Amino acid sequence: MKLERITIENFRQYCGKQRVDFAKDEQKRVTVIHGINGAGKTSFFLSINWCLYGTSVENIKIIDNVGELMSKEAVSRAAIGETVRTSVDLSFLHNGERYQIKRMLQGVKLIDGTVKVEENDSFSMMRTRADGQAERINNPIGTMNSILPANVREYFLFDGEKIDNFAKPEAAKQVKQAIYLVLKLEILERSRRHLEAVAVEYRKELKNKSGQQLRDLLEEEEKARTEIQKSKDRIYAVHQEIDSAEQKIADIDKRLREMENTNILQQQRDRIERELKQRRTELEEIVNTVQGLATSGYFVVAEGAIKKAILLLEEKRARGEIPSDFRQQFIKDLINKMVCVCGRPFDDGSEEHRTLLAKVSHGLPDALQDEVLNTCAVLQAFEQRTEKHRADVDSAMRRRAELVDIIRALDAELDDLSRQLKGSPLEEISKLERNRENFKADVREYNFEVVILHTRIDELNKKIVELKKEVDRARREEKREVLLSTKLDLAQRAADAIGEMYQSFADEMREKIQDKTKEIFKKLVWKESHFQDVKLGPDFNLEVIDRYGYSARPELSAGERQVLSLSFIMAMSRISDEEAPLVMDTPFGRLSSHHRNAIAEHLPMLASQLILFVTDEELRDEARQNMESRIGAEYRLEFSSKTSCTEIVEVK
Amino acid sequence: MDIPVSRDTVTIDESVHKIYKDLTDGTDPVTVPFKTMKDVFLWAAILGYKRGERRPISGKKITIFRWAQFSSQTDIPVVKAVSLADGDDINVLLSQDEMLNVLEEFANSGIHELRSSLLDEQGQPLFNLVKII
Repeated sequence: MKLERITIENFRQYCGKQRVDFAKDEQKRVTVIHGINGAGKTSFFLSINWCLYGTSVENIKIIDNVGELMSKEAVSRAAIGETVRTSVDLSFLHNGERYQIKRMLQGVKLIDGTVKVEENDSFSMMRTRADGQAERINNPIGTMNSILPANVREYFLFDGEKIDNFAKPEAAKQVKQAIYLVLKLEILERSRRHLEAVAVEYRKELKNKSGQQLRDLLEEEEKARTEIQKSKDRIYAVHQEIDSAEQKIADIDKRLREMENTNILQQQRDRIERELKQRRTELEEIVNTVQGLATSGYFVVAEGAIKKAILLLEEKRARGEIPSDFRQQFIKDLINKMVCVCGRPFDDGSEEHRTLLAKVSHGLPDALQDEVLNTCAVLQAFEQRTEKHRADVDSAMRRRAELVDIIRALDAELDDLSRQLKGSPLEEISKLERNRENFKADVREYNFEVVILHTRIDELNKKIVELKKEVDRARREEKREVLLSTKLDLAQRAADAIGEMYQSFADEMREKIQDKTKEIFKKLVWKESHFQDVKLGPDFNLEVIDRYGYSARPELSAGERQVLSLSFIMAMSRISDEEAPLVMDTPFGRLSSHHRNAIAEHLPMLASQLILFVTDEELRDEARQNMESRIGAEYRLEFSSKTSCTEIVEVK
Repeated sequence: MDIPVSRDTVTIDESVHKIYKDLTDGTDPVTVPFKTMKDVFLWAAILGYKRGERRPISGKKITIFRWAQFSSQTDIPVVKAVSLADGDDINVLLSQDEMLNVLEEFANSGIHELRSSLLDEQGQPLFNLVKII
């Protein structure tokens, strides 16, 4: 940023419109504005600040306790009802483009002589691009802040009275803040804090979840699968046992068939068992028939509803609402053609015409007619079907009862036979039959076990289906967790990396500023040989080390402190990327001529543009001579006690 | 004539879904008498009609089968008969949606009676069902 020109209008003691062109050449970059105390140096300095930032920006007070901004003289000259305007125009160059900003405050003069000032000033900005095209900038405050941030403003536009601030013993905090702000370390620090906060959030969220649930579910599923496999193995084994027992029974049967004393009984048993098997199959079939009849037999129970529906439909027909003999469309066609069914034409309003019209108006839509007629016909058949169905169910149930009785009787016969064999006086026969009975009992038990095992497998399979659903859900959850911990990791690592970068960058910057400050300080301080070093340690205390290696700051004179502070400020403006002018209000007031001479010599080369508000005493003799070749513009502030106004006069 | 697109899904309340499962899920016809949810639904609807209570579905609706599964010779005529008997309005015959609503609401009330008649009574479920006929 390089200031080009300022136009001040009715600002404090600057009445009317006054303009100053600033020196901005490479060689002649210094603008000197002379003024005795009270001539208006500070007001001029303020007008630049006000134009750039207003009275406050982003909660930073720019102008405080300075009274009215509007020129009292301008107000007094204005007529009642006239609008009085205070404005400051500033044009500057920045990054190859020309900017023009204007801040304005207006008010209307009232009868009592005061001015009702608008609550807010207006701020506007124009930019002229390198191609000469001018454009209005919609976001002037933000744009201004990006050109020269308000919070670093005071390191570039600074007040001479505050110049020794950085060299005071308690200034470490200010030094640190200045470095952070001007060198934009704050941005790094802010992003580190942000990432750290994000990481904390992720960590909290992760804590609420855990992979335990998924592991438990998978374990449960695995258990169920293992149990199914065991059950299946067991079923296989049991079937082998059954086969073996049945084989043994078959062997015994064979033996009994062969033995003379038992062959008749055994043949009888063979016959009964064959019949029993047959009857059991028959019973199974009849049960299936009953099932079919019962589950489809709901219409039998719906008898009442069916009868009621038939009544309703027949009633419609009885009332002639459903003329089952004619189609609506057919009658409509006859009416359209005005021709009777028999082919004879009829007249409008004739007997035939009226009859047909009545049929149309009383009739129902064809679709509904069809529905009614079909449904009625189908439902009427249900009476018979219901009767038949009941009869079928009854006969199936009767047959079932018969079969159950037959099976019982056959079982009883078998028991009887078995008893006879067991009671045989021949030990072998009795023993064979008892064994046979045991094998039979084994088979029954094994079969029961198989049923139990199958039931268990069914249960487990259902459980697995449910578990799978839950596992899927838990897996989806886990994926989210993995993503979350990846994000957490990323945020934390980024925060750490930025933290490290920040630290090393801050250290590097601090060292650079330290070296630059030292370099400048040595140029500016005449007692150079007395001071060995300037240090800016990790604690951000600005120290001057004397030739004995001790901190010399307590012994520094007020002037030396100012020079140290100034050196620090100059160092920062050199190190920072901001290309900004140095605007100084009465910077040399408290310096001895030695310091002034040195500063006047070196200062112009340390800033890209220098604007000095000085009293005559501050810049004269050798100091002035030292700076002379760099001065490109010079003005004098002339205060008139008659009008209490200051006029800016260019010094040729 | 334009035929409006009708709903063809038959739905039940989520809360009674388990009853439908219990009555159809098994291989032994004596203990688990029903082969299809459609049959359970029609039985439930008829029992609901006989109770005279239509109970709107209040919970989440679950589709258990589609209209096309109704047989044209028995199921559809009975659906129509129940709808007619309930509303005394023959126009219901042209609205598949309305007929389904009627049946669903009857089934929603009748399903509990069907369950208790089959499972809570003494005797085996299949023969308990026969007793109702």
